[in-house]
Amino acid sequence: MAQRYDAVIIGGGHNGLISAAYLARAGMTTLVLEQRHVLGGAAVTEEVFPGFRFSIFSYVVSLLRPEIIRELNLPAHGLDILPLDGTFTPLRPGEGPRAGGGDYLWRVNDHGRTIRELRRWSKNDAEAYEEYGQLMVDMARFIKPILSMVPPDPSSNDPRPFLPLTTLLRSFQKLSERRQAVFVQLMTMSAFDFLSQWFETDPLIATMSASGIIGTYQGIKGPGTAYVLLHHYMGEIDGAFRAWGIPKGGTGGISNAIGSAARANGAEIRTEARVATIRVGGGRASGVVLESGEEIEAGAVLSSLDSRQTFINLLEPGTLDAGFEAEVRRFKFRGSSGKVNMALDGLPSFTALPGPGEHLRGAISISPSTDEMEQAYDDAKYGHWSRRPYIDIIIPTLVDPSMAPPGKHVMSCFVQYAPYHLDPSLGSWDDNREAFGDAVVDRISEFAPDLKSKILHRNVQTPLDIERTTGLSEGNIFQGELSLEQLFFSRPVPGWARFRTPVRDLWLCGSATHPGGGIMGANGRIAAMELLRSRGKRVA
Amino acid sequence: MTGSNAAPTVATWDAVIVGGGHNALVTAAYLAKGGLRTLVLERRERVGGAADTSALAKGFRVPALAHTVGRLRPSVHRDLDLKRHGLALMAPEVRVFAPSPGGRGVTFFDDVARTSEGLRSISPADADAYPAFDRLVRSLGRFLDELGRSTPVDVKAPGLGDALTGLKLGRTFRGLGRRDSQTILRVLPMAVADFVAEAFETDVVRAALAWRGVRYCAVGPWSAGTAAILLMDAAGNDGGAAGDSVFARGGPGALSAALASAARAAGAEIRTGAEVTAITTHDGRATGVVLASGEEIAARAVVSGADPKRTLVDLVDPVALGPSLGWRAGNIRTPGVVAKVNLALKKLPVFPAAGGDGERLLRGRIVVAPGIDAMERAFDASKSGRFSGTPILEATIPSLVDPLLVEGAKPGSHVMSVIAQYAPYKLGDGDWATSAEAFGDAVVAVLESVAPGIGKLVTHRQVISPVDFERDYGLTGGHPLHAEPGLDQFYAWRPMFGHGRYRIGGIDGLYLCGSGAHPGGGITGGPGQNAAREILGDLKKRR
Repeated sequence: MAQRYDAVIIGGGHNGLISAAYLARAGMTTLVLEQRHVLGGAAVTEEVFPGFRFSIFSYVVSLLRPEIIRELNLPAHGLDILPLDGTFTPLRPGEGPRAGGGDYLWRVNDHGRTIRELRRWSKNDAEAYEEYGQLMVDMARFIKPILSMVPPDPSSNDPRPFLPLTTLLRSFQKLSERRQAVFVQLMTMSAFDFLSQWFETDPLIATMSASGIIGTYQGIKGPGTAYVLLHHYMGEIDGAFRAWGIPKGGTGGISNAIGSAARANGAEIRTEARVATIRVGGGRASGVVLESGEEIEAGAVLSSLDSRQTFINLLEPGTLDAGFEAEVRRFKFRGSSGKVNMALDGLPSFTALPGPGEHLRGAISISPSTDEMEQAYDDAKYGHWSRRPYIDIIIPTLVDPSMAPPGKHVMSCFVQYAPYHLDPSLGSWDDNREAFGDAVVDRISEFAPDLKSKILHRNVQTPLDIERTTGLSEGNIFQGELSLEQLFFSRPVPGWARFRTPVRDLWLCGSATHPGGGIMGANGRIAAMELLRSRGKRVA
Repeated sequence: MTGSNAAPTVATWDAVIVGGGHNALVTAAYLAKGGLRTLVLERRERVGGAADTSALAKGFRVPALAHTVGRLRPSVHRDLDLKRHGLALMAPEVRVFAPSPGGRGVTFFDDVARTSEGLRSISPADADAYPAFDRLVRSLGRFLDELGRSTPVDVKAPGLGDALTGLKLGRTFRGLGRRDSQTILRVLPMAVADFVAEAFETDVVRAALAWRGVRYCAVGPWSAGTAAILLMDAAGNDGGAAGDSVFARGGPGALSAALASAARAAGAEIRTGAEVTAITTHDGRATGVVLASGEEIAARAVVSGADPKRTLVDLVDPVALGPSLGWRAGNIRTPGVVAKVNLALKKLPVFPAAGGDGERLLRGRIVVAPGIDAMERAFDASKSGRFSGTPILEATIPSLVDPLLVEGAKPGSHVMSVIAQYAPYKLGDGDWATSAEAFGDAVVAVLESVAPGIGKLVTHRQVISPVDFERDYGLTGGHPLHAEPGLDQFYAWRPMFGHGRYRIGGIDGLYLCGSGAHPGGGITGGPGQNAAREILGDLKKRR
């Protein structure tokens, strides 16, 4: 006799766990099924090399919704976020206003210091930076309600789901014309064009626009990337917008805290339990079958997997109507990022600012010029990984020494672009993994020539590896591109952005849904709320 | 800047229009028909702006910039009775001929079934997909046409009229049906390369159809938002997937002449050789214009057919505009990437891909775009300030349908008009004065690849660079559409949010009527017609 739960959740990533915690809290019997031995999906910490622990995939946090931290009381379950301070953009000898050994652009949380630093480059940019910062905070505030909204179906005749939008329209009308205009630009422009309205310092535009391409198969000059810029501005830590941090113990620390909260609320979590099929009978989902053959019955099935995994791989062919299935297949993934994790014997030294120091404690951004950023994309457009990529580097051991043996370090390098679909002449990613890793090391060495001598171990994650390990289709870290046509009421299928699916009692709760990816958790929370509401349960 | 603080004098004119391009003439005609005393001031010696026919050599006349006029709004044609004013339109059955260097080609006819049959030899799947794709483009284009015909709603302070427009658009939107209404929201922000790839498998077919998504714009087929540009081009014409190919007898200048004649007949006065150097304002009101000669002309309304950046940055007193709006106007994006190459030919070139059927197949637009990636690579060059060594071309041989253009030349002669992309306004190295001929050579080399021997047929060649567009036609940045038609400069925010209703907030009586206003560029008369409706409404209220 199969076991029966009120809700079974496929996938133990952060969103699946969040849904579980909310459902269990509302009194539903809830089971989470995770294929791997560790919880977290792409938010995991693993000891890849003895003594060195890595946030192998997702590596920083900022977007996790504060209401989730509060409602699930995550700090009590071990969540501890250590703030990261600053973004350091090293340059090569001969670049920048400072003569001699090389220059850099270093922005820190201390506003006064950043302004002084910018003034060194451009008086105009130093002035514009203040205005720009305020504008973006206002924009993030304005758009924040959208994050907890259930998108309406624009082709539906039922006016009720549109009501939240009218509230939004009213708050839009209260913005100044200047801010309204900026909002429209953010939704439509390229990060490069958007930023160029304020700034003239090329490495500044290059570094700031990098937020606009994270996880996106577009260059900084691609229309639509300004939105991704805003998406990354919406993070809050302790009420401060645009603050980034790393969880103590790596991003797995977040997953473990949420898992602990879910369990405390009564949810059951099973690892190494891979779902093979979602059972559908009479047009409704009635449970799942594991790869082991075990059957589990459920009143509702929530999938935190992406739409392709859920609808194409887990449902029997023919379950969905052809039109819907065509839309699912059309959804764009196109993973474009890779990750290189290194175990280091000591800290690398940057020519621009030699030796250890505060500048290594935040993000180190390899984004010296807008042309190089765009050329990195041009390589990827034609199916090659970037020969000289953009890299976002973090050295977590500087804020959390527990990640490596004493005196040693771990270095996390997020790399773009690594297109999932390589040109056939290059072979597969299995043939390119190490060459790609070498390109990343060489690229960083342009700025820190001693890096190679410090590397003890190197772990390269290509988009194919990300897909194989986490199940993210095509290695897309957001479960589908954050392009305008794949957002809000079109995410992940036009007309099906309300967490429900054409199969009754089958729900989506992962990053594939509104409001998209990143360790945000809003998806898992709203999905759970919607399910509870549909069951007539009190939403806490 | 003179006269910006001059006290208003008694206005002799109700409306003075800056520039005599086709939209300005449309506005003038409507305003005059509406009983307003209307004056058009054109800097050049003849009206028409970018809708111009110019002499290339003795006996050869050629479309100076734009070469087809099929998007002219039918209601403009009808209302202004352009036929009576001499306009004759000619629409060949071939819309697009897309030759490949290998000697094969794709032909798009006005007839969908015939196009589809032709595609069958290349790809049965593409042949099957074509009718549905054509239907989709038409359906979405019709909705955008409805959008284009109405004045954008006032998002900031919606009134009754805006609510009605909203309702009407809502009804049209629902009229699309559930599927198409979801599709349009999904498709508009997409890359045109993705949009065509959803329907077609063959690269040459994709490229030929994607071309209209990037034509005149600083984007490649992989840029997001290019599907919207394609669909906007499909709005208000019956071109469908292939687009229209309609010629005015006598070249595009003949359309301008017909519009000028209609405007004059309605009572408008048109002065050429009259360059406006400033728009005068007083107390937040436009009061008239100053000419290069120093002459001041007072008017109740000043309507600018010039591009919005030129209008606001160069012609209006920055103090009157204010720093915030001035900053925003300065940021209007006008990245010109198109050059024009006009050729006089001894005889009709031979395109092997046309077989022996050149006379017929070459009558429409000849699109030389070998593939999506080739288009994107041509675009890549322009991003870093280089012109493309193998540019993408849209050529026409208008003398095939309109022998009038080569009336004085030797029999068998032809003219070829080539829109060539990408040729960025700002070159990283050198300037256009020294680079134009090298680009002309690159264009002819691309033509050689599909029409071997064409180079030897060229007797005269004219290369018009984006810098020439700016200098000779006043197009800021050399942008033929007055402002990039990206989704950031679209609909209610074309050219700027809060100023997308033909009026410039903060300066009463100042209007935009050119391609920089909704619904944008191309030879449509759309912005001119919409603007005239708004101006007439405003001025009647003020009487």
